[in-house]
Amino acid sequence: MQKLSLLIFWMAFSCQAFAGDDIYSVATIPAALLKDASVVKRMELVRFEISLTNEASLTYKVAYTILNEQGDRWALFQVGYDKLRTVSTFTGTLYDASGKKLKSLKKSDIKDESGMDDVSLADDNRVKWHDFFYKGYPYTVEYEMVMNYKGTMFLPSWTPQEIYNMSVQHSLLQVVCPASNPLHYKTFMYNPPPVITADKGNKIYQWEVKDLQTKESEFASPAWYKLTPSVFLTTERFTLENYQGSNASWRDFGKFVYDLKANRDALPADVKQKVHDLTAGLKTNMEKITVLYKYLQQHTRYISIQLGVGGWRPFDAKFVVEKKYGDCKALTNFMYALLKEAGISSLYTVIRAGEDKDYLIKELPGPQFNHVILMVPNGKDTVWLECTSQTLAAGYLSNFTADRLALAVDEAGGKLVHTPKYDYKENLQVRKIKASINQEGTLDATITTDYQAEQQDRIHQLINGLSKDKLMEFLKEDIDLPTYDIRHFNYVEIKSELPVVQEQLELDASNYAISSGKRLFILPNIISRSQRVLNEMKERKYDIELGMAYTDIDTSSITIPDGYTMEAIPAEVDLHTKFGNYQARVKLEGNTISYIRHFECFTGTFPAADYEALRQFYDKVYKADRSKVVLVKNQ
Amino acid sequence: MKLSRFLLLIICVYSYQFAVAQNKTPVKFGVVSAKDFETKVYSLDSNASAVIIADVGSCTIEGNLKGWFSAVNKHYRRIHILNKNGYDLANVSINLYSNGADEERLEKLKAVTYNLVNGKVVETKLDTKSSVFEDKIDKKRTVKKFTFPNIKEGSIIEYEYSTISDFINSPDTWAFQGSYPRLWSEFTFNAPEFFNYTFLTQGYLAYTVKETNVVQDVFTVSDLSTASASKHASFIAYVNVFRWAIKDVPALKEESFTTSIDNHIQKIAFELVERKSPLTNYTYIDSWPKVAQQMMDYDKFGSMVQRDNGWLKEIIQPLISAGDDQEVKAKKIYAWVRDNFTCTDKHRLLMDQNLKNLVKSRNGTDAEINLLLTAMLRYVDITADPVILSTRDNGFAYSNFPIMSQYNYVICRAVVNGNDVLLDATEPLMGYGQLPLRCYNGYARAMNTGADLINLYADRITETKNTLVFIINDESGKYTGSLQQTSGVYGSMDIREKIKSKGMESFQKDIKQAMGSDMSIYNFGIDSLNNYNAPIDMHYEFDMENNGEDIIYLSPLFGEAYKENPFKAAERRYPVEMPYCMDEIISVQLEVPRGYVVDELPKSMVLKLNEDGDGIFDYRVSQAGENISLQCRIQLKRANFAAEEYQLLREFFTQVVKKEGEQMVFKKKK
Repeated sequence: MQKLSLLIFWMAFSCQAFAGDDIYSVATIPAALLKDASVVKRMELVRFEISLTNEASLTYKVAYTILNEQGDRWALFQVGYDKLRTVSTFTGTLYDASGKKLKSLKKSDIKDESGMDDVSLADDNRVKWHDFFYKGYPYTVEYEMVMNYKGTMFLPSWTPQEIYNMSVQHSLLQVVCPASNPLHYKTFMYNPPPVITADKGNKIYQWEVKDLQTKESEFASPAWYKLTPSVFLTTERFTLENYQGSNASWRDFGKFVYDLKANRDALPADVKQKVHDLTAGLKTNMEKITVLYKYLQQHTRYISIQLGVGGWRPFDAKFVVEKKYGDCKALTNFMYALLKEAGISSLYTVIRAGEDKDYLIKELPGPQFNHVILMVPNGKDTVWLECTSQTLAAGYLSNFTADRLALAVDEAGGKLVHTPKYDYKENLQVRKIKASINQEGTLDATITTDYQAEQQDRIHQLINGLSKDKLMEFLKEDIDLPTYDIRHFNYVEIKSELPVVQEQLELDASNYAISSGKRLFILPNIISRSQRVLNEMKERKYDIELGMAYTDIDTSSITIPDGYTMEAIPAEVDLHTKFGNYQARVKLEGNTISYIRHFECFTGTFPAADYEALRQFYDKVYKADRSKVVLVKNQ
Repeated sequence: MKLSRFLLLIICVYSYQFAVAQNKTPVKFGVVSAKDFETKVYSLDSNASAVIIADVGSCTIEGNLKGWFSAVNKHYRRIHILNKNGYDLANVSINLYSNGADEERLEKLKAVTYNLVNGKVVETKLDTKSSVFEDKIDKKRTVKKFTFPNIKEGSIIEYEYSTISDFINSPDTWAFQGSYPRLWSEFTFNAPEFFNYTFLTQGYLAYTVKETNVVQDVFTVSDLSTASASKHASFIAYVNVFRWAIKDVPALKEESFTTSIDNHIQKIAFELVERKSPLTNYTYIDSWPKVAQQMMDYDKFGSMVQRDNGWLKEIIQPLISAGDDQEVKAKKIYAWVRDNFTCTDKHRLLMDQNLKNLVKSRNGTDAEINLLLTAMLRYVDITADPVILSTRDNGFAYSNFPIMSQYNYVICRAVVNGNDVLLDATEPLMGYGQLPLRCYNGYARAMNTGADLINLYADRITETKNTLVFIINDESGKYTGSLQQTSGVYGSMDIREKIKSKGMESFQKDIKQAMGSDMSIYNFGIDSLNNYNAPIDMHYEFDMENNGEDIIYLSPLFGEAYKENPFKAAERRYPVEMPYCMDEIISVQLEVPRGYVVDELPKSMVLKLNEDGDGIFDYRVSQAGENISLQCRIQLKRANFAAEEYQLLREFFTQVVKKEGEQMVFKKKK
């Protein structure tokens, strides 16, 4: 009977698609949907059907009318597949502006290529794709695809409006799910509950949108899925190859993750002995953690192999011992095993690494993660370990994983935890400059800078990733000065839970002071100028989400050549806003310009109405950072 | 025939020059002792994170089972990993190619990691069964990947494999140099006497070993593909054994303003020139005119262009009107091809689909698109020939010898109303008669009876930019201005590209942002946005902020000044290869702000790059009453400069940045 319902469903599809030649005529697009649009999604039907045996099929059909070059990318349709998902149907048709069919793609037109990412040694990702490469605007492409899923761990999500310059005429999501395996969902910008119908032991859920207009892209706006109708899905029970799991709660999902890694921590006798040798005599757990983390860093490296269930189950500790490499799962599991041997318990913790700190949809337990780190409870404190890095300090998470929710798992299941947040007081850049300017205007400067926490992430990567001569080459091109040369540089790393990189640079910059006739123009802010400028906006729509918080402190003294008198000096600037504070003060005493700058930037979400105030704040900082001291030569 | 004999002569001369020095390969697979771990810093490169101890390759031509010959390429490499940054050398990828009939395959891979543990060398072998992964990139390309086990700082690793290749006409190029230093790099080429190869060497280093020997070998060729009794031939022939080695090869370092690092790397390439007895005589590399003829007859290149192509009628008829002259026709056809096809691969000399299929699929390679253009021009009786070249990222091609493996791109030369016009329809925003920068890479060759040589050096093109600024005191008392800027071919293309991909609004926003908040911009306009044959003309008006300060400091070039020296690095190893010559003019006419007097203006200056005036910076200021005029021009009359000229260039732009940063000073009237 389930088959019958599918047939009826398909007939409904067909009627819509072939009712007349001109269903894709551009003339039938409502005017409101053409405004600022490069592409109009004419129709989209997503039907995801889950069987009792936890297999699933996705039937997908979409039609885009492409209005100009910026919409061309939607003529390309691609489907990623792997060992757990196969593509059984892939068809496409091209229509002209009047809705007349121009051509259909042939099987041989479909490209089938490796989808492997750049960092992996091996994975099973592949991509099928096709592009019509048509240029007669406007035109319409229609694609249909059927995918078969082995297992239901990963369900598709639905965000019908895919980008700000796309409008949507109609999109429908249907999920057919056995009544015995409830569907969990979380919607954004979609208020009504789904239409739910029952059909012979199945429940059919339906979400639908019509006539979504384009949106404007805005600086620092929230994640796209929060701005446009979106639905995210999981089922209560799921399978991954031969493994069964539950999304009923974070506890349950965590249990599944834990079970995949459980009993994979046996260490060979010699490694066990090594652990005891290394930790013997150490008093505190922190000392032991630090020593064992260092051992991990010195004896392993990151190599990614993701095949089938291997995307979620780590290679065991023995594998890492033998090969001396592993991916995030394997290395974290190995570190877990080392600590366990030293009598320290820790938690394997899945997380989404990268830019989006606010990624987790709390209400929807399930596989929202792409990385693993290790959480080591240590009395009141918690020590966090990024096990794929050979250089990070024990206990420090960089901006790759800091300040976000993650799921820590043990035999009892999972619980949500929050990784440390580094605020403006921790993310420091403290810079001291001693400089002098000669008669030719050449600046000779000794610059010492202490970078702390997230402010040191980039420089940490550089000094650990580049040889000394490459680093020199890099520095000679990286600094925002017109023409300069580095004479000397040095870096010292102070590793701790709040790591610091101390940088020392000696450089000379020719024509730093611009002499223009009798005048000399000198910029007291030598290398700490803010680059941020925002455009004026008539109407800001979305909240403003400001990312990393930090503080920059500059103290400079610049000796100027003899024989000049001050004509103009920047006025003191003192700004206090909810986004941050800024103070800058320039003084000329004798032959020395002294400059003090204190810039605090806060993180947080601010209402759209604050945009103009933020723009002005950035603008004032931008200008203050570029105001010059003007000196006139004594006659 | 003459030419090939000449090539042979070169090879013979080469052979006699080879010394008979007994410089042996310094290491052998599997022979690693504790002593080998002692060096922690190599004098060749004290900063290196890994050093290639030996890189040894060979190519041997052998008979195969397909009735012909294969190239057996052996590669052996030993690496000393000194610190973590050298770990990437432990990840190895081997690329294999197959075109369906001919293929490359991997054989006899072994890889071993050596570590020194308590003074003893401990070996860990790569499990080649379970730890070598295959990635099928697409139908033709496969990558075999593996990583060494048990890598630590200080590990020594070595690997060895063979690839058997059916592509014997252009055996793999051997690069003596790469991004890591090499203590020893060696290549041996075993060329049977019946195959005559030419050698193409490049680089600045001297060979430590350069020798040749002659040996005898047995060649066995079988053909198992035929269903009937298999053919089988066996014969003895002399083999020339050529061997090159270089000791202490420094790492290659990339620099900006280099067309391709490939033009500077130390390497040697091989091309099959002819075959001889006991095989049937055949010349592979002929004279240019002969090659041009062969290319035009080849079904993957010119054969379709040479036909009548009646099928083009239905495409061309609607495009062309009766009274169109040649130029109008050529422009219409060019625009049609450009506007209707998407170029998906810009590195192809030969066609993968025929022209009819191209018209159906609407996407194709540079070769297909420009051969279609050529065929269409010929259809309307305009003389048109395909032109082949090597793009910048592909390195220079030797213009004298037709070594086809060096060529990777096709354009079209048409004779329109008696004038030669070069055309490339692969760029959607390119105008008639313009070429993308990638084409300017030395000499190109027309595939006509004379195989005409076409000079496409970057020195031949000049990118212009003209900016005109007026600033006045308007009637309402505002200090206001207008700017008009005409870009050159490539500047115009950049602007069109930005507007097409991000939209006009976002382009305007970027301009406003760059001008800063002291100036408000309005009446923004762009002319010739869609007329690709004309330069882009951008214009807008602006108001300057004036808060009644006692002194106004005005940067007269606004956002147009060079704020940074484009030649940042203090030293230079390779020649400077700019994309084009340049000629930029900014002209500013301004009124003294009302209520102010001039206190100081920048002084005029003329600066020459060198005695020949290959670069000129001309900055002139004059004042007549309330009107100030500033004219600033930068010209670089060459695109290519020797490494020794780098400091001149850097100093030239230092002065430009300095001068253009100067300000005008106005004081309030008392």
